[in-house]
Amino acid sequence: MQDYRPAKLLRLHFTERDRYRGKPLYEAIVEKCQELKIAGATVFRGLEGFGDTAEIHRSHLLTHDLPIVIQIVDSAENIARLLPAVEEMMDKGLIALSDVQVLRIQKGSSTSV
Amino acid sequence: MLEKGSAKKVIIYLNEDTQYHLSPLYESILSFLVHKGVAGATVTRAVAGFGAHKVMHTPKVEALSEHLPLRIEFIESAAKVDELLPTLYDMVTDGVIEIQDTTVVKVAMKEKRQPAERAAHERKAGKAKLMRIFLGEADRWNGEPLYDSIVKRLRMMDISGATVYRGILGYGVKGHTHKSNLLHTNRDLPIMISVIETDDKLRKAAEAVEEMIGDGLIVISDVDIVRLVRSRPDA
Repeated sequence: MQDYRPAKLLRLHFTERDRYRGKPLYEAIVEKCQELKIAGATVFRGLEGFGDTAEIHRSHLLTHDLPIVIQIVDSAENIARLLPAVEEMMDKGLIALSDVQVLRIQKGSSTSV
Repeated sequence: MLEKGSAKKVIIYLNEDTQYHLSPLYESILSFLVHKGVAGATVTRAVAGFGAHKVMHTPKVEALSEHLPLRIEFIESAAKVDELLPTLYDMVTDGVIEIQDTTVVKVAMKEKRQPAERAAHERKAGKAKLMRIFLGEADRWNGEPLYDSIVKRLRMMDISGATVYRGILGYGVKGHTHKSNLLHTNRDLPIMISVIETDDKLRKAAEAVEEMIGDGLIVISDVDIVRLVRSRPDA
């Protein structure tokens, strides 16, 4: 466990329908993360959920409005750099931040790019 | 009930027709083992063999067909074997007793009956650790999907649970973006496995996972758990 170093885990909750300048908000946020050289970001789509507006987000035949969670793990400084940008991009939703211990594994340079 | 880990395997070789107090010796040994609460024992009849008497035991000769070699084997903890051995030593008047070191990998027992009704649940709260493992869907380990292998490994380690999530978009260590398309034909989306366990068990799980992952990220955080346990009604 000695190789684990402290870091921050950022979770952003919003919905699939949220958009930012014409594209899905989750795509825009992932692009912003790449632009700011954040170590990584992963987007998950939930099956069902509800939030502040108590509106149930669920898959309908024609509309897609499912819950989205983006998980981002990086150093406290990098997360601090990212937060203002994300706050500006999100109209509504939830931002959760927690302390974590992280081990990054990178064994050799694999052939896949 | 046998436990996982190192144990002893006892094998007793004897003749089918060896008697012990007017009943076949193997029957007496089996009843003794049952009486002592041994986890399980198996008697197998051999096809042919020979022993100290240099007599061929074979079913080909009708007169000898009741004289075939038998093999009784059972697995128990070292302490239990020590307890049983003096009696077995005494009982086996004609045969061989052998003990081997062995490792119990799995002890599984099917429930004999379904619980009749849902029992009231018990609420267990406490501190625990949450581990998130980030990897790619296309990552493989010995020819099978890595996430599959990790879940199987964790299960073997008696980790209480693991859940695999598939992301729809992401990037990370390898730098390339994993993006889903409509029919999920690319099959290289981000995968996250989450595991919740007590501190020491999670530490062992993290070490095992660390060895299996080529490129990835392990994230550990403190959590408070509220676990609902349904107690089984007593049979």
